[in-house]
Formats: sequence, C-alpha cells, structure tokens
Amino acid sequence: MEKLILKAIEHLEDLPTLPSVAIEMMSLSRSPDVSIRAVSECIHKDPPLAAKVLKMANSVFYRRGSQEIDTLHRAVLLMGLNEIINITTSVSVLSALGSRKAQETAIRKNFWDHCVATALIARRIDTRLRMNLQGREFVGGLLHDIGKIILDEYFHDQFMRSRELSAETDRPLFEAEEEILGTTHMEVGHFIAQKWGLPPYIIDVALYHHHPEQAQFKDICSVVSIADLLAKAREISCDVDIPPFVLKDQQGWHILKKMGHRMDLVDIERLTFEIEDIGREVKEYLSAVMDQDGGESTNG
Amino acid sequence: MADNLNTGRLQMTDETFRLLRDFIYEHSGIFFPDNKKPQLENRLSLRIKANNLPDFEKYYYMLKYDPQSPREIRALFDSVTTNETSFFRSPPQIQAFQEKALPEILQRKAGEGDKTLRLWSAGCSTGDEPYTLGMVALEVLGGAADGWDVKIFASDISEKALKSARAAVYNEYTLRSVPPEIKEKYFVPEDSQYRVCDDVRMLVEFQYMNFNDEKRVKLMQGLDVVFCRNVLIYFDDAARKRFVSQLYDNLNPGGYLFIGHSESLHNISRAFKLVHFPGALGYKKE
Repeated sequence: MEKLILKAIEHLEDLPTLPSVAIEMMSLSRSPDVSIRAVSECIHKDPPLAAKVLKMANSVFYRRGSQEIDTLHRAVLLMGLNEIINITTSVSVLSALGSRKAQETAIRKNFWDHCVATALIARRIDTRLRMNLQGREFVGGLLHDIGKIILDEYFHDQFMRSRELSAETDRPLFEAEEEILGTTHMEVGHFIAQKWGLPPYIIDVALYHHHPEQAQFKDICSVVSIADLLAKAREISCDVDIPPFVLKDQQGWHILKKMGHRMDLVDIERLTFEIEDIGREVKEYLSAVMDQDGGESTNG
Repeated sequence: MADNLNTGRLQMTDETFRLLRDFIYEHSGIFFPDNKKPQLENRLSLRIKANNLPDFEKYYYMLKYDPQSPREIRALFDSVTTNETSFFRSPPQIQAFQEKALPEILQRKAGEGDKTLRLWSAGCSTGDEPYTLGMVALEVLGGAADGWDVKIFASDISEKALKSARAAVYNEYTLRSVPPEIKEKYFVPEDSQYRVCDDVRMLVEFQYMNFNDEKRVKLMQGLDVVFCRNVLIYFDDAARKRFVSQLYDNLNPGGYLFIGHSESLHNISRAFKLVHFPGALGYKKE
C-alpha cells in the first residue's frame, strides 16, 4: 500500500507547531560558543514557557540541593545547558501536543502516563549503566511515541481499529497500523520530529524505538526501547494487550551488551521492583509540567 | 536471670540461639539470621510453655535427645513458619498465570497430544493457593476440562496448616480478593463461612513435605507450573540455591516457576528465563 496517510499528514494545515522559542533554543544548543545569557534571554521571550522551565527546575525531578532556583540564569548555571535544553524541549512539545482536544480521554491520559514513565525509567537505566546520556534518554523516552498523538488526533478511527486488530491478532501495534493505515506511528513520529526540527537523536528515537539496531543513536534508542517495555510491564500503556517479554532477548539489550555495558550484572528483578511505584512519580511529573493555571492558554 | 523475671519474657543466650538456629536449619533448611533472634524467641516461647520447660536450653536438649522429639519437631515447624495467605493472593501473578502462562502451556501440550496438567503449590500453608490454582485451571479449561487430567500437588511443612487446608473451610476475610463470580461458582456457604466445592477439592492433593528432604523433593517430577511464594525467604542462600535448582529439574521444559511478589532469583539461579508479565514476574524453563 502507498503511504497515503503519511502524504495526507504532510499536507495537513492545522498540524500543531512548536513554540518558536523551543526551535530557537535547539539551534542555539548546536552553536559551539553559546552563552548562559543567550540561553536565558531566549527562554525569557516566552514568559509562560520560562515560568514552566523554572517550575520544572525546582521540581523533585531536577532540583539539586535545597536552594530555590529563582532565575533562569541561575537554573542554567546550576543545571547545565544540556538539562535546560532538555527541559525546554519537553515542556514545549508537551504544551504543543498535551493540551489539545480530547485530552481528557482515557487513551490520551494513558498515552502521556506511558511517555513520562518511559522517560523516568530510561533515566534510571542511564544512571544504572553509567551511560551519561545527559538527559537525552529522558527526552527520547518522553517523545518516542509522538506519532501516536498525531494518528489519534487526525486519524482517530483507523488508529483505534489498529489497536483492536493488534490485540485480536497478538501482533505488534505497528504491524496493525501498517495494515490499516498504511503507515506506522514511528514513521509519523519521524515525520513530525523532522518537520519541527527536533534534534537528530529524537528523530531517530521516534523512528527506531522498536528496532534500535537500525538506529544511528543506538545507545539512546536501546535504552528507550527497554524503558518502553518496562513501562508496559507496569501496565502504564495505552495498548490494549500487553504481551509478556524476556528482557535479555530484546534487541536493545543485546546492543547495549555489545557496546560493552555489563548487562549480565544488571539485577533485572531489582530494577523491576524499583519501578513498581513509578505511577506516583509519573503523576508528580505531569502535574509539574502540565501547568494547571495558565498552561492551556499557551496553546491558544 | 533477674531480667527474665522482670520482663516476664523468656530470653535465649547467644549460645542457645546458635544451637537452636542450627538445629532448625539442619532439619528444615529454614534459617534464622542473627537479627531474627527476637522472632525465634517469641515463637519458641510458646513451645516451651506447652512442654512445661523452664528455658530454651532445656528445650534444645529435648529436641536433640528426647525420644519423643520427632513429634515435637513437627510442632516446632508449625510455630516457626508463617501461615499468612489468602485466595487469589497477589492478583497480577494469578492473572499472569491465568491469562498468559497457563493458556500457553495448555496450547503447547494439547499440540503434543499430552493432556495432563501438573501444578505444585510448594509451601501451600492453609490451602488458599492450591485451591485458587484449581479454580483458575477450571476457568481456563472451561468446557474442555473433562478431557484433561489435572492434578495440583500441595505441600507444606506445617501439619497444622495442612489439616486446616484439607478441611477447606474459610472465613470471609481470606476470600477478600476472590472475584464475585468465582466465589459464587466455587464456594459453598457453610454457617458464616465458605467451603471450597468438591470439583476443586478433587483436583488438589495435600502432602507433608520438608523441603530439606532432597530425596522427597526430587520425586516431584514432570511439573508444568510451580508456585513457591514466600518460601525462599526462610532459607539461607545455600539452601535456596539447592532447592531452586531442584525445582528447575522438576519442571517440564516450557514450565513456569512463580515466587513471591517481591522475591528474586537474581543471585540464586541463572537457569531460568525471567519473563515480564503485566505487573508480575515469572521464571520459565526453556
């Protein structure tokens, strides 16, 4: 089948857009001599975004030490440029996609729960394996499924049918999507990430989180692929059926092993027990990032 | 000694603790590390009262030298094990068994023309677990149940628990996790309690077993699923390794072992494949 739906998405006129500040931030991050001042001034151009970034910087997820971070300048100073760019990217994409219509439906709620859980678990894996992915594993986890949001938003009925078909036939969702939609959430995610000019590693994660061996950023994609499964094992997922899996048999696991990480020493049971309470962390993260007071207006 | 009188509670010397601890370990594999001394004191003080003995030393000598000791040893096992259990305990595990592991096993065996199903509830306590497994097996088999030869072995080291398991009468509280339609279908109300129906009772075979008795454990061959939940916690590492390796041998290829909700085989066995089910872990023999 031709990629009709992918073509249709390319011509959609009301596709969500990223805040211009986010785009500017990402290009700033690629310039070699970026200054703290340039970054904080850039974020300041979007006051609601600036407020959210500060709020996140002070949340339990990023805060280090006891002192309140009261200016962006200080946030960049304390947290480093990478982390600030990660937060800005996350907050921007979440506000571009997170508060659109039908957000209250169970699927959307599970969708964001799953993305945040994947991000939090990816960060744990990064720490455990001392990979030093610098938060890219977190943003990658958060955004790996953005294609699903687009499919749910613009091709809702076909997307729902794909989910049902996947459950009925015990096949992966992307196979059912291919059959019904002629494309997959990975291809759609890849398209939108490119269109938004997101960093190459995010484009890679969107396309290859189920097939990390084909990825360019194999380390990030492998970590996200494992985190994705573990989030599903916690039943934090919008999939209808969650098939059992063996972590040690996964592509991502083999890749990390081949890269020299001592996977045989990983206590998988312990890792699994440690994320039993991940649902609570997910709620805390979402309530920090989904600003209840003025968040919705940024999208208007 | 004055302290003992003042607190009204018997205490054991470190020396006696070691003697009793080693005795229990030798006879059952159940291990009391140093930090569990107060727990052991507590539990054995009941046996001391029952035997009209003045202290733990005398109790130790009784166990070791009295010709009546085999009887007392069984009573000792009753008092050092915990019988905390309930029907459909840890629902995600039961669900993994019901929705994933069991259908997979039944499909494979039916394909091989082998219509036997052998389960073992190892450390079955008062019977809640093996009866739960029986109910789940009947639910999954549905109309096909008659064509299958289903047997659930259930064993424990506590005679007292086994006695209560065979009686199969339970109070409302142990049934708190049972789905209403299951309760309706497999329990018969009896006074203010519930008795497990005969269709399920017929499937379960109770037996006394000491997991330290390697020859006895070895006899449990050809199993499809073993539930051994919250048993390994009583053992030390050496006993755990020995027992789990025997369980592995006892399972059929494709069979599953389920251990307690927060228990781990990480440092105990590498033979199994760790399978992630929604909300639960299982160990598969390839």
